[in-house]
Amino acid sequence: MPALKINVHFGGGAELLFDKIKKREVELPAVDKYLPECEKKGWTIRELLVWIKENLLRERPELFLQGESVRPGILVLINDTDWELYGELDYELQPSDTITFISTLHGG
Amino acid sequence: MDRVSVLEQEIADLRKVLHEKETELYQIKNGWVMRQLTTPVEPERQNYNNSGVQYSGNLPKWAIERYSRQILLPDIGVAGQEKLCKARVLVVGAGGLGCPASVYLAGAGVGEIGIVDYDTVDVTNIHRQILHYERDEHVSKAESAAQTLRSINSRIKVTPYSIQLDSTNAMQVAANYDIILDCSDNVPTRYLLNDLSVMLKIPLISGSALQMEGQLTIYGYRANNNPKEMNGNYTGPCYRCVFPTPPPPEAVGSCSTNGVAGPIPGVIGALQALEAIKYIVGHSHSGLLVERMLLFDGDDTTFRTVKLRPRNSECAACSDTPSICQLLDYETVCKTQAKEKKKEDTLKSERRKLEKDKRMSGQSYYGFRVKADGTKKWVQDVPKSERRLGPRCKSELCAKGTSRKCSMITETDRMDMFRHFWNDLDWREKKAHVRSLVDTVPAKRRRLKHKGDVSRKGDSKRYHLRSGGERMPVCRVMFLNTLGIKEAMVRSWLSSSDRPKTPKKALKALNVNTFIDRIPKMAPNCKICSKNKEYIAIDNVTNLHQLYNLYVRECAVQGSVPASRKTFSKVITTRNVKMKNVCECITQNVWENQMHVGYSV
Repeated sequence: MPALKINVHFGGGAELLFDKIKKREVELPAVDKYLPECEKKGWTIRELLVWIKENLLRERPELFLQGESVRPGILVLINDTDWELYGELDYELQPSDTITFISTLHGG
Repeated sequence: MDRVSVLEQEIADLRKVLHEKETELYQIKNGWVMRQLTTPVEPERQNYNNSGVQYSGNLPKWAIERYSRQILLPDIGVAGQEKLCKARVLVVGAGGLGCPASVYLAGAGVGEIGIVDYDTVDVTNIHRQILHYERDEHVSKAESAAQTLRSINSRIKVTPYSIQLDSTNAMQVAANYDIILDCSDNVPTRYLLNDLSVMLKIPLISGSALQMEGQLTIYGYRANNNPKEMNGNYTGPCYRCVFPTPPPPEAVGSCSTNGVAGPIPGVIGALQALEAIKYIVGHSHSGLLVERMLLFDGDDTTFRTVKLRPRNSECAACSDTPSICQLLDYETVCKTQAKEKKKEDTLKSERRKLEKDKRMSGQSYYGFRVKADGTKKWVQDVPKSERRLGPRCKSELCAKGTSRKCSMITETDRMDMFRHFWNDLDWREKKAHVRSLVDTVPAKRRRLKHKGDVSRKGDSKRYHLRSGGERMPVCRVMFLNTLGIKEAMVRSWLSSSDRPKTPKKALKALNVNTFIDRIPKMAPNCKICSKNKEYIAIDNVTNLHQLYNLYVRECAVQGSVPASRKTFSKVITTRNVKMKNVCECITQNVWENQMHVGYSV
């Protein structure tokens, strides 16, 4: 299976954990090579979070992840739509998808 | 300088007179407006709103003229303007969002605006909170905002509430309004307002802004009282549908710690007002930000609207069988204070100790800011990451050679060494441990190019790791990464020896303690208060200043050196000794009762 190209965006302060880069274009290797114990054929959000944690996350993983999902207060958008409408962690990534992680703001 | 103070005084006096005259004019005008409007044209078509101001079916002539530019819009029109004049909007927070939002609402002629804020105006607020001026410093934000709103539009009713909104008073305040604008700056208040809006079945227009970004959406929208809606049963999501669990407190930023660019809340606040106006004139949910969220990024000036999830049929707040039927204690639920603590002085030393403990045990902590010249600034807000086990040595040279045994150490051994170093040893033991593992030998030099030159390098270091009682030579990278430390730390630990700590001088606070023990005291009368509180019972001593003077005089008689005023008041606070035998909870109750009378009229 060829490498999968997707866009990963961060916003609302979440980018501070990722070298302050808001927009990235990333190339994911074949999932069975990267995570041999995973028995799936394609990348889902669940594996993407593991990949992000190991490759992009610079500090304080507890401010981004909680268990195998994201922490409360981070909105995950798949092509500008709430991930709940796509089945959250089980959504299978398609080429050139845009996954956005927005930390909700509370200032005023 | 005399002239300056005289002028300042004169200006302050003139302002006072101006304010009085403005209030008088406002009252006369309002009375006049009322009389004018009550002379009925077509009595059967009269409408009333709660403020007592009446609007006949046809808008008065002044209103048509005054609001003509927005009446011209087909979206608003005369009918829309009538609705606006009857609308009642509660703005929670008179800060960066509340100010611009309420300005546009007041300008649009929204009949009644309530504005809630517990805080007072600070000079650091003025860059974004456009209703407050320099002269308003230390004035209540709600009052200051209300005053400016009245000067923008004297024809509307503006009610300031200088209270901290919580589960006991929120229902009473919000019951008088048709829409809530969430312009607050903290998580507990956001959850409080959400549950409130769900219970009262009114929409919540929620904005937020921080640094260079802003977000906006409408929660708790209900279609049932809008005739323009195709589906009268439609209900939008509430805040809890989208965010069922509050975020961890350490992940929440605030304007005072993270900063904010003034125009960002300006943009979001103005859009909040627009959404409120659209809702009032009766736009359907497809035109409003329902089930959608606007993300504004000031960095690259982009607006994006993203689709949110629909209402959750099992939501704790807004489902048909909600588990939350009354307001909760949101500060406990969110583990955060709704009120920002302004005085941090007493906590500074404790905080420093706390952060130091975290640093020494390898956890993430907040470090001091460092100025350009390398000196510390005594503000502790720079996040530092925790100690981590670094990657092992992958050098081929280490693997090939016989002198180093990097490859013989397994990953579990490394983990054990790392854990032992950071969890089991205290700071002194850590130093001793590192010293026992690093040998210093005369500088080695291998490169031929520099042969014969005097080396600037003082010495070479040989690193070891202890595994199963054996001291194994390893390379520098392996050593540093396994213990999770940096080279500079090793160097400084090797060059300095442990000095015994100089014992601290005995505290002067001791003689303050004996002084407090000696003076007459009495127990509180109030039964609500905690038992360990005591009150000073000396005639002629009613404040801390007088008590301190007494203490200084006594010290002079005894020939001892008195403690400073600062130390003195600290000891008084820790001993929980109070000055007057009037309980704080009583005075607070009296004050709250007055407040209730104030806004239930």
